Amino acid sequence: MVEFGSYLLGGVTSGIIYALLALALVLIYRSSGVVNFAQVGQATITCYIALTVQLRTGSWLLGLVTALIAGVLLGLIVQVFVLRPVRRSDPAGALIASFGVLIALQGVAGLVWSGEFRAFPQPFPDTPLVIGGAALPFSVYNLVTLIAAALLVVFLAWLFNRTDVGLAMRASAHNPEVARLSGVRVGRMIALGWGLAGLVGALAGVLVAPLTLLSPTSFNVLLVFAFTVAVVGGLESPVGAVAIGIFTGVVLSLVTGYTDATNTPLVALALLVISLILKPEGAFGHRATREV
Amino acid sequence: MVVVMTQPDLRVRDLSVRYGPVQAVSHVFLEAQCGQVTAVIGANGAGKSSLLRAIAGLVRPSGGEVHVGEDEITGGRPEEIVRAGVALVPEGRSTIPELTVTENLVLGALWHSRSQRGHTLVQVLDLFPALAERRHAHAATLSGGERQQLAIGRALMSKPKVLLLDEPSLGLAPMIVTQILELIQRLAEDTDLAVLLVEQNAVTALRVARRAVVLNLGRIVMTGTSEEIAADEQLRHAYLGY
Repeated sequence: MVEFGSYLLGGVTSGIIYALLALALVLIYRSSGVVNFAQVGQATITCYIALTVQLRTGSWLLGLVTALIAGVLLGLIVQVFVLRPVRRSDPAGALIASFGVLIALQGVAGLVWSGEFRAFPQPFPDTPLVIGGAALPFSVYNLVTLIAAALLVVFLAWLFNRTDVGLAMRASAHNPEVARLSGVRVGRMIALGWGLAGLVGALAGVLVAPLTLLSPTSFNVLLVFAFTVAVVGGLESPVGAVAIGIFTGVVLSLVTGYTDATNTPLVALALLVISLILKPEGAFGHRATREV
Repeated sequence: MVVVMTQPDLRVRDLSVRYGPVQAVSHVFLEAQCGQVTAVIGANGAGKSSLLRAIAGLVRPSGGEVHVGEDEITGGRPEEIVRAGVALVPEGRSTIPELTVTENLVLGALWHSRSQRGHTLVQVLDLFPALAERRHAHAATLSGGERQQLAIGRALMSKPKVLLLDEPSLGLAPMIVTQILELIQRLAEDTDLAVLLVEQNAVTALRVARRAVVLNLGRIVMTGTSEEIAADEQLRHAYLGY
């Protein structure tokens, strides 16, 4: 039973990481109708940048902040210089282009930081938190992940629901023609969506990196999980991404705990297939607004 | 009858629109003066919508010019054209169902200051009491007539000099159509707005319009006052089908 509790909480933490990456995919899918496979490549680059800054300055926080800024810029660059020109010609081309960007970014990471596995320092103790002599089933690291993700979700909710930019972004996502006729510069809103997704992906990368060794391709398996989460959650639903992300994290953590970690991609695939058979529009999606 | 001539607010000169080999609009000249409704009537496929979409910047004209007052807006982007004072209400009650009534309205004036926007919002909600009652509801829950009012309200939020209306009567009950069009007519007169109304429903359009042009296969076949056009039996039979 103690085991179950710790699997559960560990699952919540990794689930939050999947949720963040899925959220990044949802942000982009909503604004431009593309599943951005390059997202984990972008997160890899920003993670290496965080590592470099951290090693130079000794500050984890400075590394994180640099990674977040780099995440926004990289998202904007990928959209403006690759996806925007491709999009005009063909929607399927955009998907292939995002794959191309993923491979290119991994290549760049290998050239600049070499293909070796590097340890990403864990600044927060990942051992059970002890309060008043009692060991709790979660660590400071779990807590930091939870708080960082919660802050980010609150920030996004505020941005989308309470600000002019948020309203313009939602309008651009739902109906670009009406948005343009209302004076919204839709192109900028799409780029901003990619920038925000870059921010979310960069946070996910820095939070997950201490758990895995960092290499140009070590985040690839995360793409599988994040894609599963985004699709099962409904692709257009931020709430779905977060809820299904945490659910998937828990399921995969139990699978790892009671069987073996190598089974997790298989279980993720099974989740995806079952979900697509039972509810193709996604758990939180709307049949009418979904295009495949 | 004494007609006070004002500076024409929208002038379209020699405008053409092509979609590949198809010429949708050919060498159209027209003026929509402020303070009145100008109707563009004609059968389905006459090029009416293409004309409006070209003026609003949704399609690039293949030739010709569009002026608003002294400014040329030909070939501009829609988001810039609306900022220059030309607002289009496209066909099919173009609201965003996922947003609330207030959000749909505010969307039309995001580039205005908050205080100015708030002021305009009060005016627009005064104009459409049905929307005021349901201001916090999602647009998806509105009736067809309310959604058309919302689409017009959103366009008015931008404080346009020229309002372009594409088939506002489509799919609405005749009584609601009359209400909406009479409101538009009053609005044009009271606020010195130039309205260009595209309609397949010629009888209704001619009732509220001062002047009208008849479009057939992308070309203007007649321009005149609404009375002249309504009185021309041959024209009615040939192009308007009544």
